[in-house]
Amino acid sequence: MNVVDVENITKRFGDFKAVDNVTFSIRPGTVFGLIGPNGAGKTTTLRMLMNIIIPDSGKITLLGNSNNSQVTNLIGYLPEERGLYRKMKVRELLLFLTELKSMPKKEARQAIDYWLERLELIDWRNKKIEELSKGMQQKIQFIGTIIHQPKLLILDEPFGGLDPINTNLLKDLMLELKENGSTIIFSTHIMESAEKLSEDIFLINKGRRVLYGNLHEIKQGFGKRNILLAYEGNDSFLRQSRLIKKYDNYGQYVEIQLVPSADAQQLLREAIDAVKIRKFEIKEPSLHDIFIDSVKETNNGGNGHE
Amino acid sequence: MNKKVWAVIKREFVTRAKTKGFIIGTLLFPVLVIFIFSAVFLFSLIFKPSTRQYYIVDQSNQIYNEFVSMNADTFKNGQPKYRFTEQKVDSTELERALESYQEMVRNKQLDGYLFIPADVVESRQVKYSARNISDWDELRDFERALSRIVTNIRLEQKGFSANEIRKEMSQGYIHLVSRQVTQEGEVEKSGLSSFGLAYLLGYMMLLMIMIYGQMLLRSVIEEKTQRITETIISSIRPVDLMLGKIIGICALGLTQLVMAGLFIYLAVAFAEPIFTKFGVTDVGFLNFIRQIDFSSTVFAFLIIFFLLGFVFYSCLYAALGAMVTTEDEGQQMQMPIIFAILAAFFMMIPIIKNPETPMAFWTSLIPFFTPITMFGRVAVSDPMLPSGAILSVFTMIIFTGLLIWVVAKIYRVGILMYGKKASLKEALKWVRYK
Repeated sequence: MNVVDVENITKRFGDFKAVDNVTFSIRPGTVFGLIGPNGAGKTTTLRMLMNIIIPDSGKITLLGNSNNSQVTNLIGYLPEERGLYRKMKVRELLLFLTELKSMPKKEARQAIDYWLERLELIDWRNKKIEELSKGMQQKIQFIGTIIHQPKLLILDEPFGGLDPINTNLLKDLMLELKENGSTIIFSTHIMESAEKLSEDIFLINKGRRVLYGNLHEIKQGFGKRNILLAYEGNDSFLRQSRLIKKYDNYGQYVEIQLVPSADAQQLLREAIDAVKIRKFEIKEPSLHDIFIDSVKETNNGGNGHE
Repeated sequence: MNKKVWAVIKREFVTRAKTKGFIIGTLLFPVLVIFIFSAVFLFSLIFKPSTRQYYIVDQSNQIYNEFVSMNADTFKNGQPKYRFTEQKVDSTELERALESYQEMVRNKQLDGYLFIPADVVESRQVKYSARNISDWDELRDFERALSRIVTNIRLEQKGFSANEIRKEMSQGYIHLVSRQVTQEGEVEKSGLSSFGLAYLLGYMMLLMIMIYGQMLLRSVIEEKTQRITETIISSIRPVDLMLGKIIGICALGLTQLVMAGLFIYLAVAFAEPIFTKFGVTDVGFLNFIRQIDFSSTVFAFLIIFFLLGFVFYSCLYAALGAMVTTEDEGQQMQMPIIFAILAAFFMMIPIIKNPETPMAFWTSLIPFFTPITMFGRVAVSDPMLPSGAILSVFTMIIFTGLLIWVVAKIYRVGILMYGKKASLKEALKWVRYK
C-alpha cells in the first residue's frame, strides 16, 4: 500500500492555477523529491497534503486515510516558513508541540530529553527561544518535527537558510528516520540535494507535472547517457560497435554516446575483449541538466515527456 | 473537548499568566483601587476644604439675612461652607463696585458675588457670578434659598402671616423614598448607587474587552510575523487553534477579574476595622462595595453577558489579526472595533438611567452593543431582569455562533497570508473559499 496517493488535484487562487491536475504516489520507506523552480506549486501541493488548504478537485489519501485530519499525528511537517514562539522556554515549547501531536506526556518528556541531549541542547532546556542562536532554533525546529517518530515526514525546502552543519544534521536525521521505516517527502529547487537523496521524483513547473518516476529510470530514459572510457590499445572496436551513436576521442579518454536502446554493460564486454581498460564510467545526465532541459521545454509551450 | 484545543488554551493562558506584567497587574490593580479611594478619603481629612467667600449686593434689602441663615451648612469638620459679606453700594457707584468684585474674583481674593436687584420680587432674577459655576450642589442651594425667600415675600404681600407661611413651608417638604418593585416585593434602594454600579460595571466591561481583545490580536499577529502558524496548523485545525486562543485569553481575563474581585473584597474586609478603629464609619467607597449584593439570577446574567461579549469581540479581534501582517497595522485597523465598543458604552449611559425605553430594548438586541448595554441594564435592574434579557441572550448566542463560523473561515486563510494586509472585501471573499 502506498503511503501517499494523490489523484488529479487542482488548486486555483482566483484565476491563477497553482496546481493543475497533479497525480503521484509514494511507496513506503522511500525518499520522494518534489522538485521545481520557485513558484512552481510545490508548497501549495504540500499544504494540500497537510490539509492546510483544500484542493478544488481531486483526492488525497495519506497512510490509507482519505480524511487526513485523522492522520496528522503520524506526520511530521517542516514548513518552508518556519518559526517558534520566541517567549517560550525550549522544553515548554517542545512539550506543547508534542501535545499537538497527542503524544502521551511521559513519553513526550523522555523524547524531549533524549533529543535535547543528542543535539547538545540540554543545557538550554530552560532558556527562552529568543535567547538561542539561529542555528539552535533550527535544531529545536527539527526536534519538533520528528519527535513523535512520524510515519511520514514532509519537508518543504528543508535546507533553505541552514548552515552547513545543520544541513548535514538534517540529512542524517532524514536518513535515520528512513532506516526506521519512515517515508519522506521533500521539496526543493536545489538539484544537488534532490539528486543525492531522492529515489523517486516529481518535477513540477507552473503547477503541472513535467517528469515523474524513479530518478534512476528517468535519467536512463533521458537519452543523453554518455560513457567515459580510458583504455590502452586499438580504438577500432569503437568504429565497429553497433551500440555507439557517436564518440569523441580526446586522447586520454573517449566520450561515447550510445544509441537509445543500447546496454552499457554490453559495450563494456566488447571493450574488455578489445582493449585494456583503465576506466569505464557511465555518466548519467545530472538532474540539473534534466531539470533545465525539461523546464525550458515546458516553458516553450511543449508538453515535456508526457 | 478536543485535547489539542486544550493544549492551545493552556499555552495561551500559562505563558501569559506567568509574565511579570500579568502578576503585578493582577496584584496591583485592587491595591491601586483601594489606595486611590483611601487617598481621596484621607486627603479630605488632611486638607481642610476651603470656605467660599461671596459678596452679596442686596439692593432689595429683603433677602440677605434670610439667605445667609439658609446657607449656613458646614463641612463634616464643622467648618462653614460659605462666608457671605453684604456690600452696601450706592446705585451710582454700582457699576464700578461690580467691576472691582470681578477683579477680586479674578485675583482669587473672592470666589464670587451675588447681585440682587431692588425689584427681585417682581423680576425674579438674581445675578450670580463666580470663578467656578459648575458646582451643581451650590447652584441648587442658592437657587432654592432665593426662591423660598422670594416666595415668602410674595405670600406675605398677599396677606399671609409670616408665621403661617413658615409653618406651612416646613410641613410641605416631601422626601422621596426610592423603592424598587421586585418579584419579592419592594426593596429600598438608592437610585444613585445602582446607577453608579452599573456605570462602573459597563466601564469595566469596556476595559476588559479592549485590553484582552488587543492581547488576542497581538497573539494572532505573533504567529504570523514569527512564521509559527504553519508549524502549528499542521497538527491542529485552524478553527481549533482560533477557539483555543480565544478561550485561553478569555479565561485569563476572567481569572484576573475574579482575582481582582477577591482582593478588593479582602482589602475591604481588612480596611473596614482599621477605619472604624479611627472612628471613621462613613467611608463612601466601603459603603459602595458593601451595597453590591446582586440576586443570583442577575449575577448569572451578568456572567453570561460578560462571556458572550468577550467571545463576540474576541472573534472580531481574531479576524483582524488574521487580516493584518504587522502589529502596527493591527493597532491602526482596530479603530472600527474600538468605535463600536465606545458607541456601546456611550449608549449605555442614558440607557442605565432609564433601562426600559424602546431605545434601551432595541439597542440591546444589536450584538455589537448587547454586551455593554445589556450588562449595564442587568446591573441597574437588579434584582429584576430588564425586558428582553433572555431574548438578547439568544440573539447574542446566535450572532456569536455565526460570527465564529465566518471568522473561522477568514482566520483559516488569513493566517497564511504574509506580505500585505487584506481589505474587508478580500476577507469576505475568503469566507467563500472551499
